[in-house]
Amino acid sequence: MAHSLVVVSGKGGVGKSAVTAALALRAQREGRKVLVMAMAGGEGLAAHLSLTRLDYQPFEVRPGLFATAIDRSKALTEYLHVQLGVPAVAAFGPLARAFDALASAAPAVREVVTMGKVLWEVRRGAWDSVIVDAPPTGQIGSYLRAAGTIAELVPAGRVRDQATWMEQIIADRDHTRLVVVTLAEELPMNETMETLAWMRQERLFPEILVNRILPPLPLPAGAKIPTGPAGEAALLHRALADEQEVWLKLTPTAVRLPYLFGLVTPAEVAAQLSEVAL
Amino acid sequence: MNSKVVLVTGAGGVGKTTVAAALAVQTAAAGRRTLVVTVDPAKRLADALGIKTRGGQPSPHPRDPNLWVATLDAATSWQAIARRYADPVVAERLVANEFFVAATTRFPASQSYAAAEEATNFIDARAWELVVVDTPPSAGGIEFFTAPAAMADLVGGRLLRWLTGGPLPGRRFLFDRTARPALRAADSILGSHLLERVAEFLMDLRTTYDGVARRARQIEAHLRRAQSIVITTADPAPVAEAVRFFRALPAVAAAPAAVVFNRSLPSSWINARPGRVSPALAENLARWAAEARRQAEVRAEFAARYRTRLIVVPWQLKPPTDLEALAALELNGLAG
Repeated sequence: MAHSLVVVSGKGGVGKSAVTAALALRAQREGRKVLVMAMAGGEGLAAHLSLTRLDYQPFEVRPGLFATAIDRSKALTEYLHVQLGVPAVAAFGPLARAFDALASAAPAVREVVTMGKVLWEVRRGAWDSVIVDAPPTGQIGSYLRAAGTIAELVPAGRVRDQATWMEQIIADRDHTRLVVVTLAEELPMNETMETLAWMRQERLFPEILVNRILPPLPLPAGAKIPTGPAGEAALLHRALADEQEVWLKLTPTAVRLPYLFGLVTPAEVAAQLSEVAL
Repeated sequence: MNSKVVLVTGAGGVGKTTVAAALAVQTAAAGRRTLVVTVDPAKRLADALGIKTRGGQPSPHPRDPNLWVATLDAATSWQAIARRYADPVVAERLVANEFFVAATTRFPASQSYAAAEEATNFIDARAWELVVVDTPPSAGGIEFFTAPAAMADLVGGRLLRWLTGGPLPGRRFLFDRTARPALRAADSILGSHLLERVAEFLMDLRTTYDGVARRARQIEAHLRRAQSIVITTADPAPVAEAVRFFRALPAVAAAPAAVVFNRSLPSSWINARPGRVSPALAENLARWAAEARRQAEVRAEFAARYRTRLIVVPWQLKPPTDLEALAALELNGLAG
């Protein structure tokens, strides 16, 4: 079954935005109406979609594929107005400023507003799939747990009611697909293992995609490596592939994405990845 | 002695910490007293640098007395900052406060500020000829340079004034709910008293303002005098980050002194003929040659656009994770 919400995270530098864009391109090709969202920044995701930037207003990249970046203060106004039913005047005025101030200091407020925008797009039913370029794994916890944190800090009130509903949607595996992108290298793999550990405790079960896996280089046993560039390239390939094998042992069942040789632009990378089984 | 300061910046995952460590190892090996400050080294690299615990004071490497190493832990740095700038009672209340923990671990500039503050302490100690700072990963790139101002702004009460709607109040008449309908609405949305607890925290934080603001100006002065280098690979995402950095830095500090392209393939592969080798090896050379060509194009375009010093560091067969490998990493003129 196709999921209505796909959340993609990963350590910085592993290709999280490329995978997000690839998933979106693939869903679009399958005929789904897709919204792809950047939760922070969005320059990376934009480049993978051949755009220079993303706006808060969804932009139709190609028929049926829309892209947007969440702007926190706009999301906040919308959250107060649309989701909590605060009149527009108050939402734009002092209340929004108070919330904005709060979001810099109080745990989970910023995260609830951002996740709230994502989940609202899921709930309002305008899309077959909402695919999200989420914050890196170092921060994703505070987003996925935001609802729970709010529920602890805020004893009552409308934000709390929202938070409870958000928690349910994120934990529903029929509805939500969590993806953690990683590399077969020490730091990304360690961070992925830490992420898996706390996610399991929260009853969240992400898929692991290991990016940039080198193809096998079949060499007969005892084959002599020649001197010159062909031999040098073989030595480098084998050393890198051996190192990858060590780290792949930690996630034997993970989906492996290929190393893409010689691609120049982020858009080419996303297009090629979208051809791979994701 | 006055320390020369090198700030090592760049996207995550490009080998920033490795290059910073190699630069320090090689400078120390040349007989110059060197300190490298890292944020979150990988286990194997931490072992190579002789790091046993995170945080704390610089210590000399067991195998090279000229090489000093310090690691940063943003959480402990922040407790130290609170204790340095707030009076003891307020400081203890602050570090125990749930909002303090949240704000200092999650306020965008806070890890960068903690790193910049600690680095400044080391620079002020004037105990090293060279201080190499491995900057925390950040999405914004120049965040490390703007963090002191952002931090002074946070503790300076701007948020507090917004919350209370006017001049900074005394603790007793914090909120006048009857006079401020927005606050009544906020109470009904958030549950009562959450805003009040946040405001109390911000008032405690504000007592550190004079200290933090003065320190922020000193830190900024150090950062402006420092030399920064940008580490990247030829992959599109880190290059985009390097481009953002080159564009934005001149507004807040000196332009980067160099860009380091890490994990570079030999240009000799680009048009190489495989010779008499098996089809598998010939095919392997063809795909790596395509990669080498792409890398060379990316480097040439970057150099042409930013007219900066370009340092090419070759891709290693094994990640350099011991002292010998760090000493042997070809930095092509970056050290010394």
